[in-house]
Amino acid sequence: MATAEPVIRLEGISKSFGSVQANQDITLDVHQGRILALLGENGAGKSTLMSILAGQLQPDSGTISHAGKPVVFTNTEKAIQSGIGMVYQHFKLVDAMTVAENVFLGASDSVWLRHKEMNTEVRQLAEKYGMSIDPEAVIADLSMGEKQQVEILKLLHRKSSILIFDEPTAVLTPKESEALFATMRQMVEMGTAIVFISHKLEEVLSLADDIAILKRGRVIDQLPKKSVHSTAELARRMVGRAVLLEVDKEPVEPRQIVLKVSSLTGKGLKGADFEVRQGEVFGIVGVAGNGQKPLVETICGLTSPKKGSVRILGLEWKQFFSKQNWEQTLSYIPEDRQGLATCPGLSLLDNFLLTTRGGFVRGPWLLKKRAGATVNKLINDFDIRPPDLDALAWQLSGGNLQKMVLAREFYRRPRLIVAEQPTQGLDIAAAEDVWNLLMKAREQAGILLVTGDLSEALTLSDRIGVMYGGMLVETFAADDQERIDKIPEMMAGLATN
Amino acid sequence: MTLEMIIPLLAATIVAGTPILYATLGEMITEKSGVLNLGVEGIMIVGGLTAFLVAHFTGSPSLAFFAAGAAGITTASLHGIVCLVFQGNQVVSGLALTILGTGFANYFGTSYVGLSAPGFQPMAVPLLADIPAIGPIFFQHDPLVYLTYILPPCLWLFFNNTRYGLGLRAVGEFPEAAAAAGLNARGYRWLGILGGGFFMGLGGAYLSLAYTHLWTNNLTAGRGWIAVALVIFAFWRPGRAVFGAYLFGGIMALQLRLQATGTQLPSSLLLMLPYGLTVFVLVLSSLGHRRTNEPAALGVNVEPAD
Repeated sequence: MATAEPVIRLEGISKSFGSVQANQDITLDVHQGRILALLGENGAGKSTLMSILAGQLQPDSGTISHAGKPVVFTNTEKAIQSGIGMVYQHFKLVDAMTVAENVFLGASDSVWLRHKEMNTEVRQLAEKYGMSIDPEAVIADLSMGEKQQVEILKLLHRKSSILIFDEPTAVLTPKESEALFATMRQMVEMGTAIVFISHKLEEVLSLADDIAILKRGRVIDQLPKKSVHSTAELARRMVGRAVLLEVDKEPVEPRQIVLKVSSLTGKGLKGADFEVRQGEVFGIVGVAGNGQKPLVETICGLTSPKKGSVRILGLEWKQFFSKQNWEQTLSYIPEDRQGLATCPGLSLLDNFLLTTRGGFVRGPWLLKKRAGATVNKLINDFDIRPPDLDALAWQLSGGNLQKMVLAREFYRRPRLIVAEQPTQGLDIAAAEDVWNLLMKAREQAGILLVTGDLSEALTLSDRIGVMYGGMLVETFAADDQERIDKIPEMMAGLATN
Repeated sequence: MTLEMIIPLLAATIVAGTPILYATLGEMITEKSGVLNLGVEGIMIVGGLTAFLVAHFTGSPSLAFFAAGAAGITTASLHGIVCLVFQGNQVVSGLALTILGTGFANYFGTSYVGLSAPGFQPMAVPLLADIPAIGPIFFQHDPLVYLTYILPPCLWLFFNNTRYGLGLRAVGEFPEAAAAAGLNARGYRWLGILGGGFFMGLGGAYLSLAYTHLWTNNLTAGRGWIAVALVIFAFWRPGRAVFGAYLFGGIMALQLRLQATGTQLPSSLLLMLPYGLTVFVLVLSSLGHRRTNEPAALGVNVEPAD
């Protein structure tokens, strides 16, 4: 670590949302002329921490100091004045205006706008940092990479000296990412401090000067880049030591194949192959963005397979999704509980009826009374709180909503369950409930578990598949300790097989 | 038709188009900030009554004109309170404002129906008024008409070349981006609503101070609604609003003339013309997939920052 005084020091920052501890006693230094990478899985608390630094959220406890003096950022404006600028993942640009107008929005101090001078100034600023962008272009016509350049120009124009990048490469092509890295290096050379949020190991290793690793709201590791030698080492530090959790896992004899994916290609997938049998949990682990999302979306019928085949319950993908069997088929537990899984503004009963209509319809009519009795029983069995049919989905905590989703999906007695990050953002008690429910469902169904949490995967799975670069690099039994030790290398794409 | 008929018709077009132009520019300012105000009709008629009463009792048309602007601001502020303070639905609030304003004006105006008030008189512009054809059409009107000649370019300059105009447009397009840039999004929306209300009030004032010089029930007769449609027709550009307002002014003037010549067409059909044209124009302007320039956040409330 550099010995010079940090330009920003976060000390003992804690923040919780309800029962979820998003940040817990975090202490971090940001130095001038250095790039600090915040590494961690989704939900590790990176974005929360940076929102606190940018003045969007207030910490429950802890202090921020700027150049040695304690500061309180009660709003974004205060943070901007201290030179902190955030490049958001979702750009905050006005589509209908030009590049220069966006750069000068809120930053011009004369009443009259001089378009010619604005354009010249933006062009010069862009050139200084090695960007090529037309100041007169309208934002709506720009590529994602160019829009991001405009966001950066906005901050540079305001003389921001501490820039925060929230997963900046998520929306960029590899070439645009290269250009961005060049710009970032140039900015650092000119004395800017950069905080860079990412879960991509290669990026972090090639760009950062210092690395801080976050996990479940805590900084579990903080080290200069010099001391890290490979992405595998980084991955090992990131996943930490896998802890086996307390879950009742009774052996179940695997039966027939319920899902068979063969050489599935396209949309980020490069020939994924695996099968899931009834009675087993197949856990897919990997760093996010290695093809998990398109894989799940294809299996669950949200997108059609481009190349390769997906067989569900013995039927081809197209055949399977052309039939409308509500019972004993496929259940999907999406990552996005409030959106894909439920409608936030509908009651629990209505949300139940969204996917489960068998037995509760007569012609065009919904048999609400009969469905209500069933939902009440489920609420009781699954211990969902508040125990109220008419409660709206958004009023439930994450854990209770997830239990409601599981209750609804399991009621259909599925034979294949696809669970995507089922415990993300839940506190430990709720997560344990969800794990136990999944284990129980395993007796009837084959479960495909896609997760970024290695402990979760090891605890629940019978077999593990590691995903990297759009395919499963290796598949093995969950008690194969030798291979388990190599998971970090596999996640980093370094395994040889 | 001879030239002797066309020139007065065109001159009447300008006069008939002027109140619509005021109201259209007012609604445009409001919509640029991302707020839809369907209360134009109500605000105009309150402005019209205020102007009439002030002129009637004080005898000063200029004072009456500005009083109407103030009345427009006051009435529009109700819309601001509902939409900006309480996050109410903009459509419902605007409709309520129209009903409220019309009822208010008709109730308090009843005892003045048919009475007259001093208004603005035509004032020929020296030199320009003597140009053949152009002079009689454009430069032999009252001062309020001349004001609308400079208003659209001023507004265009404001929108495009001042930082306040830039802020106003940004808030109408993407309030979150404006807020992230450190602008007060709700403050700009207040500016849009109140500034717009001012011009809507002036539009009403033109009807009672220059167009008729007297008070009748239902004085605005749907001109506020035409203004709402014209903003869309104008693609939110002041220059096109001028064109649109005179197009409607022309139809209104023509309709009056046709009635006066005793045509066979039933008068109710002629009275329908401007409103039929409104529907036609709206369909026409939404054809094709050109950029309509519509503020992206139009009608969407700004969530209070917490």
